[in-house]
Parts: sequence; structure tokens; C-alpha cells
Amino acid sequence: MVRTKVGSALAVLALVFAACTPGASPTPGSPGTSPGTSPTGGAPSPTSAVKEGGTLVVALPGDMTAADPSFVSDSNSSYIHLNVVEGLLGTKPGSISEIEPVLAAEMPTVSDDLLTYTFKLREGIKFHDGEPFNAEAVVYNYERQLNAPEPLRDNYNYYFGAVFGGFAEKSNLASVTAIDATTVEFKLKQPQSNFLISQAPLPQFGIQSPKALKAGDADNPDPAKSPYAQGKGTGLVGTGPFKFKEWVPNDHVTIVKNEDYWNAAAKAHLDEVIFKPYADQTAEFNALQSGDIDMAQTILPNDAQSLEGNAEFQVFDRGDSCNVAVLQMNHTHKPLDNKDVRFAIAHALNKQAYIDAFYAGQAVPADNWMPPATQYYKALNLPTYDEAKAKEYITKSGLSGADLTIEFWYPADVSRPYMPDPKALAEAIATDLEKVGFTINFKTAGWRTGYLRDEAVGKFPMWLLGWTCDWAGPDNFLSTAFFHGDGGKPNKEFAYGPPELLSAFDKGLAAPTEADVKAAWEEAQDILARDLPTVPLVHSRPPAAGKAFIKGFVGAGNLNEALNTVWLDK
Amino acid sequence: MSAVTVAARPVPARASRGLWRDALRRLLRNRPALVGFFFIGIFVLAALLAPVIAPYDPLAGRLVDRLKPPSAEHIMGTDLQGRDEFSRILYGARVSLQVGVVSVVLGLLMGGTIGALAGGIGGRVDTILMRVVDVLLAIPGILLAIGIVAWLDRGLFQIMLAVAATNAPIFARLLRGSLLALRESDFVIAARSIGASSPRLLFRHLLPNALTPLIVQATLALATAIIDVAGLGFLGLGPPDPRTAEWGTMLTDSTKFLHQAQHLIFFPGLAIVISAIGFNLLGDGLRESLDPRLRR
Amino acid sequence: MLRYIARRLLGVIPVLFGLSIVLFAFVHLLPGDPAVALLGQHATPERTAAIRELLGLDKPLHEQYLLYLSDILRGDFGKSVIDNRLVVDEFLLRFPGTVELTVAALIFAVGIGIPLGRLAARHVQGWPDGAVTVVSLLGVSIPIFVLGLTLQVIFAVKLKWLPASGRIDPRLGIDAVTNFMLLDTLLAGKPAAFVDALKHLVLPAIALGSIPLAIVTRITRAAVLDVANEDYVRTARAKGLKERRVDDRHIMRNAWLPVTTVIGLQVGGLLAGAVITETVFAWNGVGAWVVDAIQNHDYLVVQNAILLFALIFIVVNLVVDIGYAYLNPRIRYS
Repeated sequence: MVRTKVGSALAVLALVFAACTPGASPTPGSPGTSPGTSPTGGAPSPTSAVKEGGTLVVALPGDMTAADPSFVSDSNSSYIHLNVVEGLLGTKPGSISEIEPVLAAEMPTVSDDLLTYTFKLREGIKFHDGEPFNAEAVVYNYERQLNAPEPLRDNYNYYFGAVFGGFAEKSNLASVTAIDATTVEFKLKQPQSNFLISQAPLPQFGIQSPKALKAGDADNPDPAKSPYAQGKGTGLVGTGPFKFKEWVPNDHVTIVKNEDYWNAAAKAHLDEVIFKPYADQTAEFNALQSGDIDMAQTILPNDAQSLEGNAEFQVFDRGDSCNVAVLQMNHTHKPLDNKDVRFAIAHALNKQAYIDAFYAGQAVPADNWMPPATQYYKALNLPTYDEAKAKEYITKSGLSGADLTIEFWYPADVSRPYMPDPKALAEAIATDLEKVGFTINFKTAGWRTGYLRDEAVGKFPMWLLGWTCDWAGPDNFLSTAFFHGDGGKPNKEFAYGPPELLSAFDKGLAAPTEADVKAAWEEAQDILARDLPTVPLVHSRPPAAGKAFIKGFVGAGNLNEALNTVWLDK
Repeated sequence: MSAVTVAARPVPARASRGLWRDALRRLLRNRPALVGFFFIGIFVLAALLAPVIAPYDPLAGRLVDRLKPPSAEHIMGTDLQGRDEFSRILYGARVSLQVGVVSVVLGLLMGGTIGALAGGIGGRVDTILMRVVDVLLAIPGILLAIGIVAWLDRGLFQIMLAVAATNAPIFARLLRGSLLALRESDFVIAARSIGASSPRLLFRHLLPNALTPLIVQATLALATAIIDVAGLGFLGLGPPDPRTAEWGTMLTDSTKFLHQAQHLIFFPGLAIVISAIGFNLLGDGLRESLDPRLRR
Repeated sequence: MLRYIARRLLGVIPVLFGLSIVLFAFVHLLPGDPAVALLGQHATPERTAAIRELLGLDKPLHEQYLLYLSDILRGDFGKSVIDNRLVVDEFLLRFPGTVELTVAALIFAVGIGIPLGRLAARHVQGWPDGAVTVVSLLGVSIPIFVLGLTLQVIFAVKLKWLPASGRIDPRLGIDAVTNFMLLDTLLAGKPAAFVDALKHLVLPAIALGSIPLAIVTRITRAAVLDVANEDYVRTARAKGLKERRVDDRHIMRNAWLPVTTVIGLQVGGLLAGAVITETVFAWNGVGAWVVDAIQNHDYLVVQNAILLFALIFIVVNLVVDIGYAYLNPRIRYS
């Protein structure tokens, strides 16, 4: 019964999208109104509109890095994997925080002490290699990560370690047991409020065919020697609507329709999807316009803007933002240790002007370190643009002249979903800050050649960075991304973290009741609003674009966009 | 690269002062060279007079004025921060010409020293130095530049140094090549036979003659230096202060707006092309006027 | 001649050795950290330290160098930190792409440059000369990425004559056998795909070939002018030979030498240019790979891909030099 329920929900979604007018462009500045987040209960339109078959060529910002989801932590790989491998749970198409059962038949039952989760599995599902999906397979998949060989831990199996706090005996996951063929029991050592929400969106917790994993030597401590991880002849054997076909590194990854998909109502319409990496975004946009590719997963906002009114193309809405861009500050560097200075900076920044200029309007000014659709989000009424107030705060700080000189770092060679053009954004921020009396000294470094390393150890006084959610929980933003403690003390990145904040984080994750969890996360947000350790800038909705004949695409702020609903109207 | 043809062509021994005066006279009669002079002159003037000519502050702009097409108010439009593109082109001439000149002079000093040592001393010194040059030449220039900028941290001077380092091995090889060829030439053999001392031989006879191809190559390198900076900028290794008005960076930054603001590609591109053509024409003119055999 | 070749071959060894040191230093002087590169937004100091240890980056530098040297001497070129693929596999996968692109660029440069140069020389200081000069100078004064992106906009986006990027339309489903796309399409027996692959070559070849085109043009012009002033040409003219015959028989035959030398020298420049061209045209070649590797701090890829790259550059130069010595016995090599 449940099975048909979800199945039909997906079908309805597909139809809702099929009914959308061609070339429908997103409504700017209206977060949360994406059709995906609010499936209407209206009568389904006739199915005859959907056309089957065809090939879709999708450009991604980079190549896949492994044909085994448990080994990757980059969004390009995940974007491909989630079409092929499914987990027990998933986020609802188009939503970042609503969870639904996928390979589980229903949401799990949870014991009163919040330590035991029991999942009932769907029956009769087969992996792409014909092997049966069952409780054994689930146990095998979780245990292979729980007991991953030493060299793979933290490094390749990043998400498992991050979610469960480590591997083997250090892990908060005590055991995964098959009660019978269709029942799996997860036991935790401590309550973990992010358990379900972290399992849902991440293909890293997808279930793959144990037989294929073993045959492909997927647990070889050196992934270079694993045919499975390299996608050589095998790899990515899951239960999803698409099957993995081939991977020519840096050239393309091809997945093909799974004719035997268990959810008949959500079967893929496309015969084949080809993913191609594009390093340069202008080149990618040219390729889209020339017809080399049908769709670009991420394009520059100003390019999206230039497609407006072009009947041949459409810009896809991503719904709720699942990211944040932040003007980061380290409190060991003067004058950023001064709270008045931080408030002055916050008041000096014209966030809306940045959104209009560099995000083509596809963003909202941030009033929190986590985006509005996150669990336990509350509006914090952080300082807004007001030059006069900025100057007041500067006067209040008692600093002037050379004391107001700040070294400001930006990454030179990247474009991130939350900051499409970091250099231009940094320039505009500097202009605003100099207007109220600061002096900005620019510094830059390559994203992976210095930037990420140096900011993490507190070398930068002020810098641009942000976060794209792994899952839409407050822990993933407030703690993991930013102010997590380091052995009970503030971390080096920000040198900020009063004890009450760190203990609120702990309570928020491990409190024994839902109400306590909520109270703890709200307390954490209030502390941050009080101290304003850094200045959140925007939550962006990075645009995707494609040919007008693409129908049924369901965009999502967390990029969980399985392409089984997509069909080609040509 | 056109230096290849002029390398190793000894000029008959004669008083070098006469040679230079002759060359200058021929240069002034060379039409393309004069056009080159003219182009470069425009930009030198622009650089010097930028504060007088520029209608706006090249660093100040408002975001609401961004990406405006050329108009009476902003004859070259505005850039992505809303700044006047014309004023930035004028001020950019200062930085870009400086980048070109400094990086080439640095390259000449580095390469010239290596080349002179190798060609002047010869023997084992020559072998070792030329092996080093071979190693440097074997690494694609842009990668060498990336390495240097990444290593020394980003900055305008570091960028100039990187561009210099990619030119230096070419200069070194060129100078050494012409020195070696000259050593075997009749006039040097003659000078040696009448008992000219080694240093005198090197400074009085060899270097003045061998410098010709180097000067020509240097003129051509001036043009490519600005482009090299743009290439570094494309890979994220441009000047750290994004407000700096520099043609290469301006061009690089605007490729992101290829579809919205072609004027931001066109004007800095045009400035680079014109200055490059200027330097190239001048280089050609120099080559022809320094080569007496091409006298017409 | 044989002794000359043997000596040149021996000379390669110290260069490669020096190169290994330079590359090792290059990579270790780069700021940043492969461990951080691997972890991206999830990097923390503890996790970074663990990975450094795993990769042996915590050992003293000289030890690391000796390990590296012994690895490459054993033919072990290591693997990527980011995607765990063997450098040699990856190089063999991508090198054909770079060869196809550079050869096409060279054909473009030579095929157009020599006639243009001869045209300019024939009308020296006339308007064709001026026009050729300006066109060739445009080529050297526009950065490759600007030229490449502009060509894409004109010929792919606006006119839709040619594809914008990539090596072939992936919808055609050509199996990679040799990774030379032109060969693979023929092996697959699909002439239409061969044409598609050819079309994909045009724009990147023009972008990459623009600089060598300018140089070949100018050198041809200069060489023809040089030769045209020689006595035997004047004699030939004086004999009343047709201008065309003088051109072909007397001038070009002698002007070839400097032109071929310069073409050989262009190979190095082309490989460097390929670095950016491949990125702009999403061309699956060695250049784009190395840029990626540098930006990702994928240190073994940087070290060894450039080493393999340089090795090929050296071999090409060697062949050119030997060919040059063979063609021109007047030149003594000391």
C-alpha cells in the first residue's frame, strides 16, 4: 500500500511538471514556491503527453571521481550516483528537508530511548545485476563502511565518519542487524538527531549489490586497484531508475534506463543520459547554446539572465536554497575581535545590491548562517544595510585610521554555487566597507592550492567562504560548516565559540527528546545572533538551464535531482 | 621567434657607433616601424596623462551603474562594478606597459647573463648552463609561470617575474647561439689574430653584434607579456587586488560576460592588440634596420 | 651522424634528471596541500594530518624525492590523489587528444602561414604585406582563451556551423579504442562520426594555431625576402626565368630551411598553448588535465604528467634537430 503511495506521488510530480508551460522561467525572489516542495493534490493530467526515449546530454562542472558513492564527497559524482543508487530514505523530489522512504517500505520505527531504528524494507526489488535487495544487502553495505580498511576511513569514506563520528568501535553506530529478510535494525550508542536527515539526501548511504562490490574488489585499501571504484567493467550497481554504462574519465559518464525498475510508475523516460564535465563556465554556456549539450547543471547567474525570453531554452528553478555565503572572520585578528566592528561591517554591506549584480536576483539576503528551509531555522534579525548605523558602530568601537585596516582574502580560481564570482563579490564588499571608513587589503589564493588549507588554520583575518548543505539540518551548517569545537575549545578557523554555544551544539545532536533538540538549536542560533561572529551574506539558488524541450525536470536546492522524471518533447 | 632568422648573422666589423647611427637612420625611414612607434606613443601618452584625460576615477563605481554599454557619458561603457571602462583603459596602460617593460627587462637580465656566460666562457660552463636552459624550455611556459606565481604568492611583481622567467631561457639560448656563431666569424678571428684580449673581444666585438637578435626578440616579448598576464589571470593567478586596472585582467574578467557585455571584451582586447601590433612592427623595423644586408 | 645522434640521446638523460628535480621542487613549493585538496570543504587540521601521513608527505623532503625518483625509474608514475586513477593510464587516455589537436593546429598554421608569408613577400611593403602583417599580429595579440570563446560564440552559437567544444558528439556512442578520435570513428566504420570529429577539431585548432600561424607567416616572409636578395636569385631572374619558376625552384627551396626549423620550435609553444585551449574547449587532453591537477594540488599528476609531456617535447626537438642536421650537412654541430 505504502509502495503504491510513493510511486503514485512520484508520478503525480512528473505530471505536475509535464503540465508546466515550456520555457517557464523561475520566479525570482520567491524561495519555497517551487512546485516540487508543494505537490498539489489536483487531478493528474493525461499521461499521453509524456514521450518516451531519447538521449539527454548534461554538463557538470567537473568529472565523476569514483564509481562507488561511498568513496566520494564531491557534488559532481553524487549528481550522477543518485540516479543509479538508492538508499533506504530519500528527500522528496524538489525538497531539501522533507524525507520519504525509498528502499524502506515506510519511515522507520524509533525506540523511546532514540537508540534503535527499525526499517521495514520493500520486497521484490532486484539490483541491476539481478541480485535480490534484502536486509542482508543493507547490513553488508553499512558494515563495509563501518569497518572500512584503515586507509579509506575519513579520507574516502568521509560521510560515514562525519555522520557517525568515526569508524568501527569509535562509531556512534553500534550495530546494523538483519532481523529477517525484510527488516533491518540500526542501534546507536547515543541519540543522534541528524541520523535520518543525513541518510536521506546522500548517495553515500545508498545500497549497492554486495555481489558486485565483492566481485569488483570495492574494499581494496587502494581504490586505484579496485575495478569497481574505477568503473572498469563494473561499478555503481544499485537499484535506481538508471543503470551505469560507462565512464571515460574527464570525457563522459553514461547511464541507461533500467527497464526493470521496481517502481513502475517512476520508470525513467529517457533511454540514456550522458554527463560531460566542463571546467570553464563560459565554454559550457556556449556548448549549451550551440546544442553540444542539452542541459547544464549549473550556469552563471548572468548567463541564466541572458536566456530570458529565449524560446529555445529554459532556466530551471531550484526551489529552496541549501547553501550560504559568509563573510568569514577570525577573532584572533584585530580589529575583528571587536564586536562593534563586526556589527559595523554587517551594516555596511548592501546584500541586495550583490544579489542583483552577481546572482542575477537568484538569492535572498541571509539572516542566519543556515538557509530558511533548514530544520529548526529561525529568523535572527541580523543587522541590515545602513551606512549611518555602520558609522555609528565604528565610532562606538573607538577605532579609527590604520586600526580599521583589514586583510581580505578571496579565492581566485573557483565559482561556487553560493558565490558564482568570488572576485567580483569581494570587490563590491570592499567598496562598501571603504565607504564607511575601513581600508581593505586584498589577498588571494587558489581554492585548493592554499585557500582552503590556510583559512582552516586561522591564517586569514577576513575571507569569503560558504557552505553547500550535505543535509538540511542545523548541525550541518552551524556546527560542521562553521563553529564546531576543537577538543572543547573554539576551532582555529574562527577562534570563536563560547562554551554555551558548544554545549548547545552537543545538546542539539544528542538530547533525549525532540523538544530538547529544538530548544538547543534555537539557543545556538540566538547566541550567534548576539555575537555576530561572522556575517552571513546570501542564500543562493544556483540556476540550471536547458533546452526548452526538456520536460519533467524537478530541481532541488540540494542538487538531489534524479532524472527519471525527465522526458524530451521533440 | 622571428629572431631565428637574424640570429647568427655577423655584421662585418666596423665602429659600432656608426652601426647604431646607421640603424637609427634606417629605422626612421621604415614605415611600419614608424606606425609601431606611433601606436606605442599613444599608449605611453595615455599612461602619462591618464589623470588628466580620464573622465572618472578608475577605481570608483556603483553597482547600479554596472555593465552599461558605451554611451556619451561613458564612451566605452562601464564594467561589472559600474566603473568607467575608458578611465580604466587609460590607467590600465600604466600597469600593462609597466608589466611588459619590467618583465622583459628582467627576462633580458636573467637570460642575457646566462647566455653571455655560456657563450662567452664556453666549455663545461656552457654545457651545464645550457642543460639548465633545456630543462626550463622543456616545461611549457605557462606551467612554469603558474609554478612561480603559486610559489612566490600572488602579486604584480611576482607575475612580472614569472613572465620574465618564461622568456629568460629563450633569451639565453639566443644570445649564446649568436655568440657562438660570431666566435667563428671572420672578423672575430681577425680581431683575435691581431691580439685583442678576451674581455675586449667579448665586450667590444661580440656582444654589440650579438645583441641585435636579442633586442628584436625583446621587442616581440613586450607584446606577449601583456597576453601572458591575461593567461595567468584566466587560471586564477592574476594580480591579487581585483581593483587594479590592468588590460589582461580586465579582459579575463569580462569573458564571463561574453554574452551580456561585449564592449568589456572589445576595448581591453583592442588596447592589447594595438600595443602588440605596435611592439611587433617596431621589432620588425629594428630587425630590418639593424641588419645591414637588408638595406634598401 | 650516428655519433651525433648518440650524443644527443645521452644529453637527454641529465635534462630529464634535472627536470625531475625541478618538478619535484615545483610541486612541493606550491602552497596548499593535497590532503586539503582531497577533502575540499570538509578539511579539518586533524583529518588533513592523517592523510598527509597516509600519503607519506610527512617524511623529510630528500627522502620523498628519493622515493619519487626510484618510483619513476621503476616506471611507476603513481596515481591521482583525487580520483585514484593511474597517471600512466590517464596519460595514455588523454595524450592522443593532445596530439590530434596540436597536429591539426600545426597543419592550420603551416597550411595558411606559408602561402600568406609568400604573398606578403611578393608584395613587400605593399598593401597585401600590410594586411598579412596585421592579420598575423592579431593572432599573436589575442589571448587564446579570448579567441577560443569568441570563435565559439561566432561559429557555434550564432552561425551554428560548427560544434562549440568537445572531441565528438557523445550521442554518437563511439567506442574509444585508440583514443585518436579520427581513427576510432573510422574503426567504428562510421564516416558521419568521422566528419563530426573533424568538425570538432576546427575551432580549437584555429585558436591554438593562431600564434604559430603568425610566426610561420612572418618567418616565411622574412626567409623569402632574405633568399630573394641572394645573387643566384638575381641571376635566375636575369636569365629571364618566369617569376613563378623563380619562386618555386630557387626561392622556396632555399627558404624552407629556416621555415622548418621554426615549425619544429613551435611544437613546444603548441603544447603550452594546449593547456589553455583544452580547458576552453572541454578537450580531453593532457593540457586540461595538468591545469586541473595543479588547481586540485594533485601533486603526482602534476609531477609526472609534466615529466611525460616534457619527455615528448624533448624527443620531438631531438627528431627535429636530427632531421635538420640531416637536411643541412653544412651545419656542423660542436
